[in-house]
Amino acid sequence: MKSRAFAFILITLILAAVIASALATGPKGFGWGDSNSLLLLRAPRVLAALAAGLALGIGGGAQQGIFRNPLADPGLTGVFGGALFGIAILLGLAPDIAWQKSWLIPAAAFGGALAVSILLVTIGGRGSSARLLLTGLGLNAFTAAGTLVITARSGESRELLTNGAYGDWLGMATIELTWLPSLLCLLAALLLLLLARPLDLLSFGEDAARGFGCDVPSLQRRAILLTALAAAAATCLVGQVAFIGLLAPHLARALVGPRHALVLPFSGLLGALLLLGADTLGRGLWPQAPLSAAAVTAVLGAPIFIWIARSRHG
Amino acid sequence: MGEPLVIKALGLGVELGGRRVIDGISLIASGGTTAAIVGPNGAGKTTLLRTIAGLAARHDGELTIAGIDPAKISTAGAMATRVYCAQRPTCAWNYPLHDLARISGQSEAFIDWLVKLSLEEALHRRIWELSGGEQKAVHLAFALSQLAEPFGCAVLLDEPTDSLDFHRQAAVRSAVKALAQAGAACIIATHDMELARACDRVLVLAEGRLIAEGTPTETLTPAVIREVWGVDLGVTPSAR
Repeated sequence: MKSRAFAFILITLILAAVIASALATGPKGFGWGDSNSLLLLRAPRVLAALAAGLALGIGGGAQQGIFRNPLADPGLTGVFGGALFGIAILLGLAPDIAWQKSWLIPAAAFGGALAVSILLVTIGGRGSSARLLLTGLGLNAFTAAGTLVITARSGESRELLTNGAYGDWLGMATIELTWLPSLLCLLAALLLLLLARPLDLLSFGEDAARGFGCDVPSLQRRAILLTALAAAAATCLVGQVAFIGLLAPHLARALVGPRHALVLPFSGLLGALLLLGADTLGRGLWPQAPLSAAAVTAVLGAPIFIWIARSRHG
Repeated sequence: MGEPLVIKALGLGVELGGRRVIDGISLIASGGTTAAIVGPNGAGKTTLLRTIAGLAARHDGELTIAGIDPAKISTAGAMATRVYCAQRPTCAWNYPLHDLARISGQSEAFIDWLVKLSLEEALHRRIWELSGGEQKAVHLAFALSQLAEPFGCAVLLDEPTDSLDFHRQAAVRSAVKALAQAGAACIIATHDMELARACDRVLVLAEGRLIAEGTPTETLTPAVIREVWGVDLGVTPSAR
């Protein structure tokens, strides 16, 4: 109990420090700058990274819970790929309309993510974990190829979509672009927290969970809808960042144990910390040519992940 | 107060992959009684128990538990009328047992059952660290903790003594007896002849059909055992 409170305080303090340094990091290096550029340029980016990280962390934790599989992650299972594919289809087919309403791009991302999620469950959800991941890999390859084709064919959106595939959209964060996806991230994250106890019951298997009074089909529907929403909204903010949804829940389990009432909120906090930390580091180390958040996440996250895998925390 | 009729099944049948796994099974069970379902592997014991628990995707025939069709009420509502413990315990995450107490929502009852099944010392350990038999006992404790009031409820256990040691097998037998005395209708699928003989009634299942039904002495006769399992009573280890 004490160690959980300690972990919570520690993460919150680190997060506060990272937020402060993120606000202080600018193109000319470290410094607060004038308040105007701080608010207009940096705050939306910081908020977007926090919201996306939160949604990625909780979404990853919920997807691992619903598939009872520590390898399930919206990146590996193709849900992120679906979100970006949805955006690519919209930008490729109707580049003129896409920016007219602020909800069009989030809606396209959600459509893509949901389509992949539904395919994933109907094809791969009921079998072994190998089948789930193979299905996910197939869907991922398909959506990535689809995005690539559209990217190559669309003149004006080419750079935008390429940046999205590399998880490099945080750089263009403005209030106009990010308020809606950020709110959707928050909404999906909060609603996913409500699934904590049913996800715990589901860990005994579908039959046992139903025996314990858990409405499994309804739980699956809600979890899939909400993880698709979280993945889509986060993709609108950052582009593709595959690793956080995998890493954050594992870190959370190592810190506070496997109960979802703790894993989900801690995954969210850690996801926000990881994404904002990665983005800030990428900007701070090379202010002239910043690294994308996705690149830094993978460089730093992969060793941590392998270390966790070695120590095998359930 | 008389004993309420808890489980009423008429002509239950279930088809899985084009094969009739159970066929035309009728049974009734009142509160305060115990019944064992026995039969060879693949006889349909688990399917019958899952069907009664309301977990089969579809079935023929009529079924009511405490007057309600379990398929027609919400799963949360079904909890009030029955508990079900699956045959094979699995757990996707390595929960400490005190976490499971919280998840159960019935912390005290769960710990009570852990004590009855001699697991009180495992409370601070994690479930994957326990032996197969101990994990099975934890699942039983979790399932039984969900039963707020045994009276008039169905307790459906799939091979509850499977892989348990003698001491815990005895604990399960007395737990079943105690639940029945508190007014529950217990139905237990089992290969454990000692457990079956301790029940009020035995249903012998073979190839999805009911072969014999009655008291243990009526049903578990050398003739039935030879017919259903193809073994002579003299070589079955639990024979008396």
